[in-house]
Amino acid sequence: MTRLEDGGPAPLRIGVVGAGNMATTHAEAWEAAGEKLVAIHAPDSLGLPRLASVYGAEPTATLCDLLSQVDVVDVCTPTDTHLGTILAAAEAGRHIVCEKPLARTVGEATRAVEACSRAGVRLLVGHVVRFFPDYSTAKATVERGEIGEVGVLRLDRCTYAPGGDNTWFADRARSGGVILDLMIHDVDYAMWVAGPVVRVFGRRLARWADDAFAILRHASGAISHLHASWAYPTGVFRTRAEISGSQGLIEFSSDRPRGLVHLAPSAGEAPPVPRPPTAGLESPYHTQIRHFSQVLRGQGEPRVDAMEALAAVAVCEAVAESASTGRPVSLDEAEAAR
Amino acid sequence: MRIGIVGVAHHHVDGYISALLGREDVEVVGVTDHDPHRLREWAGRHHVTLFPSLGALTAAGIQLAIVCSETNRHAGDVLRLVASSVGVLCEKPLATGINDATAMVAEAERGGVTLATAFPMRHSPVVVDARDAMAGGEIGSVLAISGVNAGQVPETHGSWFVDPVEAGGGAVMDHTVHLVDLFRMLLDSDPVEVYAETTDRLRPDLAVESGGLVAVTFDNGVTATIDCSWSRPTTYPTWGGLTFEVVGEQGVMVVDGFSDRLTVTSERYGTRLVDFGVDLDRRMIDDAIAAVRTSRSPAATGLDGLWATRVALAAYRSAADAAPVAVLESPVAE
Repeated sequence: MTRLEDGGPAPLRIGVVGAGNMATTHAEAWEAAGEKLVAIHAPDSLGLPRLASVYGAEPTATLCDLLSQVDVVDVCTPTDTHLGTILAAAEAGRHIVCEKPLARTVGEATRAVEACSRAGVRLLVGHVVRFFPDYSTAKATVERGEIGEVGVLRLDRCTYAPGGDNTWFADRARSGGVILDLMIHDVDYAMWVAGPVVRVFGRRLARWADDAFAILRHASGAISHLHASWAYPTGVFRTRAEISGSQGLIEFSSDRPRGLVHLAPSAGEAPPVPRPPTAGLESPYHTQIRHFSQVLRGQGEPRVDAMEALAAVAVCEAVAESASTGRPVSLDEAEAAR
Repeated sequence: MRIGIVGVAHHHVDGYISALLGREDVEVVGVTDHDPHRLREWAGRHHVTLFPSLGALTAAGIQLAIVCSETNRHAGDVLRLVASSVGVLCEKPLATGINDATAMVAEAERGGVTLATAFPMRHSPVVVDARDAMAGGEIGSVLAISGVNAGQVPETHGSWFVDPVEAGGGAVMDHTVHLVDLFRMLLDSDPVEVYAETTDRLRPDLAVESGGLVAVTFDNGVTATIDCSWSRPTTYPTWGGLTFEVVGEQGVMVVDGFSDRLTVTSERYGTRLVDFGVDLDRRMIDDAIAAVRTSRSPAATGLDGLWATRVALAAYRSAADAAPVAVLESPVAE
């Protein structure tokens, strides 16, 4: 790592692909982590001029231009475009940070992982729930053995459908809908806490809005209940988690009493893309990017392994398949555990 | 009204007797149980006359019996009571097997005798409000329901609760039925398909499952899930609870059946939640008495109990097969 005159390490040169909601969040987080956003590739995006000017980053006409200027590519585009960007970045030997889900399908996710592995570049996937302080503390509590063997998990993530300019979310061919875009957070968390999944049952109740249940059976014998919804009223984002074990129980929820409660006549306008409520001093998105920045500097291993991000896509795909056939889907245990 | 207690195995009987003993218009004729030791202890504690057999109790003349025997004894007790034209309020679940439950309902029907299932949650004010709101179209058409009826392992109330024969199962048998019954009532639709996963990991030492997740699809297309797990530790500040969330087109209704609780912390007991809500047992018993007196249907009938039992039994079939199963094993005429 090159060093600046003051003795600190040179900032990593970050290129963000995309200029929407998540690109904006990640750009803030990279700056907070002390890295430098040097280029943005987001042709035709409405958010591009503002983002480029705030960070003094160069809007590039092509992905190639971006790749030639950066150490790290941060993929913040719609899900169905992840693979193309990842393959190009890996080919160019750039490390990759990719917003979840890793890719639109298991096939694409597998290609992404293989390409990065071949190229010897990092593939860091933004399963940000692992960085939420309540979720990470619960995981640590389980790891300490405080609640014994995990038996039953309940994970809820219920909000409204993304709106505004973000019409691609509603296009299931592009986003995978509520299962791949929203439930995947809790799929990943369930596997982080209770291990690989061997059987999946899904129910999708999509009429006027996308809403899904999943019941997962883990290789350990633990079972998980997941509910993800885009059918809740605008402005609502409720998350809940319950981890029960042979020796105890952990419960937490976005409904808990808050440290600061602001009673106001109106809650104001809801953001077009719902965002889970956060606790703690630092945004979990910042915590996550700071962690990625440390990993990219060779300080520690990633909290989210690329294979785990692939497994999360595989489980979501199984949930969607089960929801469409009405039958449970078994996952290859060895594959699930990879 | 002359009332008898048949079986004191289920701890709910303590709540029922205190509801009965406070009333002017009923006479508790007596109690019977197959376990003479338990019978003597319970009758002495509540100052109720004990009868050595069910026949002796019915011979003394009763119009309504409250059946709180072990679940696998319900059918024998209820069939004899019904044959003697005694109305019955039967503890849930109705029976451990489908043939027993079906026979109980059929015989009561044939004799024109009241058979009520002990589903006190039907009398919960929040449930009634939720039903009225849904019926009034406040949340529009229903998309999905997510329910939780989780609690402590009930073994402290008697070892039979965790006996696969006497209770007919574990958490699924104990805790699926209340929510199934409420969802049937709220949706005005019957369950058609069930998928379930169960686990013994919460209490691997038990012979029955300690955790269960059940997905129930109703005739109107709505899927409801039920977490029936015995997932509350013995040190939890309360026995458990019953909550559900109804996702509708015009909004979401979040229902907590036991929100009326004080948080009480003492040096002696630590932190406990103390209920101050409506006495649901009292309301349910009022309803059963009125049903017998006026020959009207109780709030929860034997048939309601049968439907809930069908779903619990279907959940076991599903868990064994790792596949969704039809609630009705073969089409029945009703």
